[in-house]
Amino acid sequence: MRLFLDKLYEAALWAAALCLATIALLVGIQLGGRLLDGALMLLHLPPTEFQILSLAEISGYMLAAASFMALAPTLKGGAHIRVTMALNGLPPALRRAAELLAFGIACVASAYMTWQFANFAYVSYKFNEVSAGVIRVQLAYPQAFVALGTLILTIALIDELVTIVMSDRPSFRDAEEAFTVGKEG
Amino acid sequence: MSVIELSLLLLVFLFVILASGVWIALALTIVGYVAIVATLSTPPGQVLSTSIWAASDSWDLTALPMFIWMGEILYRTKLPDDMFSGLAPWMQKLPGRLLHVNVVGCAIFAAVSGSSAATCATIGRISLPELLKRGYDEKMAIGTLAGAGTLGLLIPPSIILIIYATVTEQSIARLFIAGVLPGIMLAGLFMGFIVVWALLNKDRMPEPEPPMPWRERLAASRRLIPVMLLILGVIGSIYGGLASATEAAVVGVFLSFAFSWWSGTLTVESFREALLAATKTSCMIAFILAGAAYLTAAMGFTGIPMALAEWITAFQLQPWALLTVLTIFYALLGCFLDGISMVVLTTSIIIPLVEKSGFDLIWFGIYIVLVVEMAQITPPVGFNLYVLQGMTGRNIFTIGAYTLPLFLLMVAAVVLVAMFPGIALWLPSTMLDR
Repeated sequence: MRLFLDKLYEAALWAAALCLATIALLVGIQLGGRLLDGALMLLHLPPTEFQILSLAEISGYMLAAASFMALAPTLKGGAHIRVTMALNGLPPALRRAAELLAFGIACVASAYMTWQFANFAYVSYKFNEVSAGVIRVQLAYPQAFVALGTLILTIALIDELVTIVMSDRPSFRDAEEAFTVGKEG
Repeated sequence: MSVIELSLLLLVFLFVILASGVWIALALTIVGYVAIVATLSTPPGQVLSTSIWAASDSWDLTALPMFIWMGEILYRTKLPDDMFSGLAPWMQKLPGRLLHVNVVGCAIFAAVSGSSAATCATIGRISLPELLKRGYDEKMAIGTLAGAGTLGLLIPPSIILIIYATVTEQSIARLFIAGVLPGIMLAGLFMGFIVVWALLNKDRMPEPEPPMPWRERLAASRRLIPVMLLILGVIGSIYGGLASATEAAVVGVFLSFAFSWWSGTLTVESFREALLAATKTSCMIAFILAGAAYLTAAMGFTGIPMALAEWITAFQLQPWALLTVLTIFYALLGCFLDGISMVVLTTSIIIPLVEKSGFDLIWFGIYIVLVVEMAQITPPVGFNLYVLQGMTGRNIFTIGAYTLPLFLLMVAAVVLVAMFPGIALWLPSTMLDR
């Protein structure tokens, strides 16, 4: 079970990273085409007019998918921000209770969001909603990834809740405490 | 229940739920949900999915992970190590000598990284030990580093400006260009302070080092030059209208790879680490933006922002009085919240008020970044102070005291930008529109 969950989070992280790398690659190819055209124009040659259709929309969808697929691994990496000032001031026993409460609330909220996103994607699928651009992308696909990412986050939160019950502290506490660099913008 | 009672209750609820250690993004979502349910204004679930989807699926926002990725790649090159040795020989003539490396180094690194704590940590890792070894005043070394690190937020690319642009639907390109002159001005103020301090405290400065010939200076900063060109290329292409912010960011990613390959630091390992770190950081920010989008939509249904705007404008405050109140409010908020949360939380409430009072939203973006920068160096919650606490082992309030003169300089910068809005608005007004 432990191994399966860790693999699940890792796979989600790589899926997200792949989306971002693909965006960079596509935009890079498009820019390369534009530079090539500029050079051809300077040489009075006909431009290639190469264009990746609906690039902006597709990038947007991939960004949304990436942002949500990475939710659970980001939680596990201790990189989601929260205010720990009050928690740090509590004695250990109370802190454990407070952590349980915080994770409990987060679980409920995340489960609710999963349900809403799944419903949203299902409605898009049922009414066959497509994007407005030249390439008609089925909106249900990126929306399904948003729902899936939130579902994995819910699983990770339950996983953490169990960890705290068994061992008193979230698995990522050390990472969270060490992680002060670059998380605030 | 009146709007005022409701706002107060929601505010208290927000602070309780934030303090209880729930993740900020989820806390914003929960408060949004409660606000909609309390006013029975609309089905809360439908607004949740549509508002979050609209905020997450965005071409403009794609600039965010790309700029973060670019910073992560360059962070894993030899650039941070070269910064001190490359800049130090050029600073020997100025009064205050190598203390200026803190400011200039931070300003340059700010132009590749959008984060102030990362800027502070990267420059400080090398420059702090070097400065202390050479006998520079510890107070000044630590204080200027904490202050100059905040330049990371103002000098483009800036994560805070991308976030502000997204939540207020302003142009990222214009905000970036608007940040250039105030950033240079602030760096100038910091350097001026170092010069004055060094002239007044000659006895606390170490002996000067022998000057270095030009050829050696150039050799020492050989690796800084391509990075400077990279920065000029990225900012210049945005300014010249050649590329949108996202495209410029992607160019930055590719050029950073090229630089990393040229300096021999591009490995499978560094590629993997940079990509995964960028994915996590941008996910963290995108999640907060998603929560904030829902809260903003919910707030719109409750009517609180409009009521607040009308309530405050009824006082007929002068613009400067309103700005003073806002600055104090942000400074207090900044003692407890991080920059991103401050921006997304307040913009959902305060922007209608700001528009109604006749402020330019690009100008207000620069103002808000300056104020958030101040928050980065106010104890007990200030990320730059955390970083330096980790590095020096000093108490956070001690470091805060070292940084106080720079905090006051930032207040001066806010006053200057308020008195002369052209400092922020002139450069974007000369931009070529796309």
